[in-house]
Amino acid sequence: MKNFSAHSILCCLFLFIGWIASSVNDLRGQSLLDELGASELAVHPVYATFKDTRIINVQSNETPGQNVMHFVIAHRFGQINEGAYALWGLDNASMRMALDYGLTDRFCLGIARSTFQKTFETSLKWKALQQNSDDSVPLGITFYAVGMARGDSTFAESAVNRTFTNRLSYTYQAIITRKWSEKLSTAVVPSFTHRNLVEFIDNAHDQWTLGAGGRYKLAQRVSLNCEYHFLLKGLKESAQNSLSLGVDIETGGHVFQLHITNSRGMFERAFLTETTGRWRDGALFFGFNLSRVFDF
Amino acid sequence: MKVLFIATMLIASNFCSSQQWMTRNGTIEFFSATFIENIEATNEMASGLLANDGRFAFRVPILGFRFEKALMEEHFNENYLESTRFPNGTFEGTIANWNDALKDGQSHTVMAQGILTIHGVASEREIESTLQWDGKAWIVHSEFTVLTAAHEIPIPKMVRDKIAEAISVDVQMTLSPR
Repeated sequence: MKNFSAHSILCCLFLFIGWIASSVNDLRGQSLLDELGASELAVHPVYATFKDTRIINVQSNETPGQNVMHFVIAHRFGQINEGAYALWGLDNASMRMALDYGLTDRFCLGIARSTFQKTFETSLKWKALQQNSDDSVPLGITFYAVGMARGDSTFAESAVNRTFTNRLSYTYQAIITRKWSEKLSTAVVPSFTHRNLVEFIDNAHDQWTLGAGGRYKLAQRVSLNCEYHFLLKGLKESAQNSLSLGVDIETGGHVFQLHITNSRGMFERAFLTETTGRWRDGALFFGFNLSRVFDF
Repeated sequence: MKVLFIATMLIASNFCSSQQWMTRNGTIEFFSATFIENIEATNEMASGLLANDGRFAFRVPILGFRFEKALMEEHFNENYLESTRFPNGTFEGTIANWNDALKDGQSHTVMAQGILTIHGVASEREIESTLQWDGKAWIVHSEFTVLTAAHEIPIPKMVRDKIAEAISVDVQMTLSPR
C-alpha cells in the first residue's frame, strides 16, 4: 500500500512536470515570431546618407552603384546683384555636364566639362569605409581625386605660359560622413588643391581647405543642404570662403538640386580656391542641377 | 518501474507535441508590373517557423531585398518601406485546415490565417499556400498580393504609373526540423 502511494505520487509528479513543460512551450510559443531570434540583417551599411553624389558643390559620400551611369547637368547663373537688366543673373548661365560610372558599388570614375574656363575634369571616387547601422563603424570615409584642365584660349597673361601642364590643377579630398538620423547627415571635408600655374607670383600653388556640409530632410523626398569651405592659409587675401545653401528634390530616377552660392565655378579648384563673391554684397549665384541615373 | 516508464513517455510525448520546423534562408520575391516598368526584387534571408499544431511565423528583413537597379533598392528602403524604422515584414498565425494527414507526401493547399505586418502596418490576411511533406521537411510555396495602400506605403503621383498598386509576392521555403 505504501509502495503504491509512493508510485502514484511519483506518477502524478511526472505528469505534472510534463504538463508544466508543455504549457511552458505553449506560452513561449504564443509568439512564434520571438522564437525566430535575432534578425538576419541586424547589422548593415547605412544607406542614403545624402540624396546625390554631391551635397551642393562638394562631393558627398555617395557613388553610383555598380554598372550605373550617373549623369548630371548643372547650371550656374550670373550674379544675383546684377539686377533686373540681367534678370538677376539668369541671363548668364554657365553649365557643367558630368558623367560618373560605377565600376563597383563603392568605386567610380568620372569625366566632366564646364563651360566656365572651358574646363575638362577626370575623377576617381572611392567609398573606403561605410558607416554601419549598429555604429560598429560610426563614420563613412570616401576619397575623391580630380584633375582639372582649363582649355580657354585667354588663359594666362602671356602666351608662353599657355602650356598644357600650366592648365592643370588637382584636388584631393577625404569626405568624412555620418548619418545621425533618418533626417540629419553631416560631412567634414578636408581638401588639398594644387594649381600648376597661379595668377600672381605671390599666390600659393597649394591650398588647404576645411569644409563642412550637411543635409536635413524636410520631407521624404526633399532635403535642405548647406556647405561651407574655409580657406586654411595662402589665398585668404584674394579669395572668399565658399558658402552654399540648397534644396534637393528627388523624383524617382531624378534628383533636382536648387541652390544659392557665392561660388561661380562648379569644379573643385574654382569653388574651393577661387570663390570671389561675398554674401553680404549679394554677389551670389543661383544654381540648378539635374541628375539622372542609367543602369547597364 | 512501469509507472516511471509510463510517466517518462508521457513527458516525452508532451515535448514531442511541440515539435517545430524552421528555416533561415527562405526565398521571397516580389514583382510590380506596370505598363511602363517592371520592378523585381529577391530576398533570400526570410526565416520561418512552423509548429506541429499548425501555428507559424515568418519574418523577412526588408533591407535584404535585392533589386536589379541600385537606386530602386535605395528608394525602396528610404522612401517606400522606411526600412530603418520598420526593419522586418512578418506574417504570424495558424494554418486553418492543419492536420496530420498533410504528411502523406502530396502537395496540399492550405489556408494560412494570420496577421501580415509590412511597413509597421498590420492587416489580417488569409493566404492560400501549398504544403508538402518530403519525409523530414515541409516545402512551403505561396503566391499572394499585397496592396501598397493596405500597408500605408505612399506612392507619389509622379511615379504612380511605374509602381503597381498590387504587388505580387512569391514565397518558397523548406522548413527543416528545428
